[in-house]
Amino acid sequence: MSTIGTGYDLSASQFSPDGRVFQIDYASKAVEKSGTVVGIRGKDAVVLAVEKVITSKLYEPDAGGRIFTIEKNIGMAVAGLAADGNYVADIARQEAANFRQQFQHGIPLKHLCERVSAYVHAYTLYSAVRPFGLSIIFASWDEVEGPQLYKIEPSGSFFGYYACASGKAKPQAKTEMEKLKTDMKTEDLVKSAGEIIYKVHDELKDKDFRFEMGIVGKCTDGVHLINPTELTEKARSAGEAANKEDDSDNETH
Amino acid sequence: MFRNQYDSDVTVWSPQGRLHQVEYAMEAVKLGTATVGLKNRDTAVLVALCKPASELSASQRKIIPIDDHLGISIAGITADARVLSKYLRAECLNYKHSYDFTYPVTRLITNLGNKMQTTTQRYDRRPYGVGLLVAGYDEKGPHIYQVTPSATFFNCKANSIGSRSQSARTYLDRNLNSFLDCSKDDIICHGINAILGTLPTDEHQSRDTPSQYSITVAIVGKNQPFKILSEEENAKYLEWAKARGAPADPRRPGDDDDDDNRPSTSDDPDAGPRDPQVAVATEER
Amino acid sequence: MLNNYNGMAQPLWQNGPAPGEFYNFTGGQTVQKLPRELTTAGPYGTKRSTAAITTGSSVLGIRYDGGVMLAADTLVSYGSLARYQNIDRVFKINKNILLGGSGDFADIQSIMRNIDQKMIEDQCYDDNIEMKPKSLASWMTRVLYNRRSRMNPLYIDVVVGGVEQNGTPYLANVDLRGRAYEDFVVATGFARHLAVPLVRENKPKDKEFTAEEASQLIRKCMEVLYYRDTRNSSTYTVGVCTPNGCGVEGPYQVNENWTFAATIKGY
Repeated sequence: MSTIGTGYDLSASQFSPDGRVFQIDYASKAVEKSGTVVGIRGKDAVVLAVEKVITSKLYEPDAGGRIFTIEKNIGMAVAGLAADGNYVADIARQEAANFRQQFQHGIPLKHLCERVSAYVHAYTLYSAVRPFGLSIIFASWDEVEGPQLYKIEPSGSFFGYYACASGKAKPQAKTEMEKLKTDMKTEDLVKSAGEIIYKVHDELKDKDFRFEMGIVGKCTDGVHLINPTELTEKARSAGEAANKEDDSDNETH
Repeated sequence: MFRNQYDSDVTVWSPQGRLHQVEYAMEAVKLGTATVGLKNRDTAVLVALCKPASELSASQRKIIPIDDHLGISIAGITADARVLSKYLRAECLNYKHSYDFTYPVTRLITNLGNKMQTTTQRYDRRPYGVGLLVAGYDEKGPHIYQVTPSATFFNCKANSIGSRSQSARTYLDRNLNSFLDCSKDDIICHGINAILGTLPTDEHQSRDTPSQYSITVAIVGKNQPFKILSEEENAKYLEWAKARGAPADPRRPGDDDDDDNRPSTSDDPDAGPRDPQVAVATEER
Repeated sequence: MLNNYNGMAQPLWQNGPAPGEFYNFTGGQTVQKLPRELTTAGPYGTKRSTAAITTGSSVLGIRYDGGVMLAADTLVSYGSLARYQNIDRVFKINKNILLGGSGDFADIQSIMRNIDQKMIEDQCYDDNIEMKPKSLASWMTRVLYNRRSRMNPLYIDVVVGGVEQNGTPYLANVDLRGRAYEDFVVATGFARHLAVPLVRENKPKDKEFTAEEASQLIRKCMEVLYYRDTRNSSTYTVGVCTPNGCGVEGPYQVNENWTFAATIKGY
């Protein structure tokens, strides 16, 4: 980053001579410092999973959750600034409520993404505001569209995914996810989510973390659930098992 | 001038993905005297250390009642806290008016957080320079919430904010497991013992009721509307707390007086201007 | 924060005392402006709706020792025309609240949309806190009284029934002016005249009804209503709410027997 200090990186409303808006890049840096978050699409379910780094023993286990329910059948997970995450969750809920008010129907995920990404994008246009330090993953399932997964970046662009990741260990998580099949059954889906989060967690940098997940699919009757006991336990034990395997591998080599 | 070029206002991300203005606002919390919040199975307790601004003035109120089921304790800019408490009171009153029911603490704090977030993203605002500990009781039991200027909030088992609050946190950390099942009196004594550790060394060692500082205690819980204890009750609990045991060793080597969890910076104090080394994380979790 | 989705929704409380106002330069609440057509009279004055159009008739609610029962027939009339004959008017709100609606059915549907959105909101918070029947009834009074104060009432009369958190049954009636009361039997429409006395007569002293008694009474009342209220139909649904959850059952059929009709003469 040779442009640091040249003064072209102080405002979201300013291009650098080589055509970049550095404030957006810097906002992405906040995302890269966040605990890892992944979303995976299976055959008839989508799972969201986060590595919630625990910064103090004084907090309750549920403190600082990063998975939200937006609509009955829509889940959202964020990487980045916690306060921004809560705020955007509220915005997304208002969008969903507004859609339902007008059309008597839950908002299609693609439409929600368009609305929220337009909102996020608006914050990249003016010097009076800063871009959101957020990467936002949306997941939904319904009878017609099946499982859906989208991710919005701090720039406001968004794409649909089979599987996606954000945060500290995004590259590692991506490598892991490339090995997955695209139409996993729910149980395998949940287990893979557990395995990936436990695998990419860096014990040297962050000692303690809590695995949290959200799931929506046929198995949940199209309702987004956060940390459902049984499935979460499955994911956690799969993750811990994978971690042990990893460790023993290291010892033999 | 500025400590670096990325800390001029709240709309500027630093190249490391930090918001310096927000982090500086977090520093304001450490300028206030300490306050502790903790809870057992059906009571939440706030304990605050008060110090008058001058010898001639009364000390600032540190604990602000919001509703029958909720109160806050503050550290930082008191005037900012008044704005927030006005909001909280209005919300609680509106909710009661509409639903004939007390506002669930979690939801109130979520909405407060969202209100505070806007100040961390706009050129024409500054973050609120105050940290809150919220004690509340609702159908889900007692709650302690910590709210920071960065608009993040945490559901806590116990916590402490303000100057030299690290030693209080150490005390809470050590005794955390005993809180849930102890009595109302015990939990108040724990709170007082925790906060005694945040007294400046000289004040602390005298072991008597500190002349300059005073302690305020508030409780809320099952069949107990939010109440700030009277002077007499405070004195009684202070006595009990002291009888029950000394606070955890407040000073560990390496701890600075006021900037508690800041990593020690360069050894040479004359090394010239440095980048700010505020270790308050930008809520990366 | 939430709840801003309805542009037409008006604040429940306005122009009242605002304790301790502070100066607020930016980011404060701007005074909410209503659409012009709602605030200004036309050249010939303004006329608000003065009557219900498509209507549902009575709702009957009975409290018993283990919960509450709500019943309403399945007819929605257009004037005296039996226009829609298969409409549920008893709604499940969440696992501990039932609502029975009578009056203008469009207004009922509208208020139900608002309530359903509240339930989704509860779900979103993911904190295991759900709306209580007493809270819903209170909210209904605020909305309805507010509308009547603006000379623009919702033409509805509802029964809110359910089970409170501690397991005690709750039953109340809220009407279009925002009036509300609780009792072991509440009813709207003709049932207020025909069913309430019948239920009261059967109430044992110092004792609540049993589920069996309540169910028998509802059956009897729906029969009486069918015979005597021309806006009733012979099918009805019954909502039952207990501490274990709630649901709407039916449609049931009233026992019809018209053999006596031949004996009625002189009309």
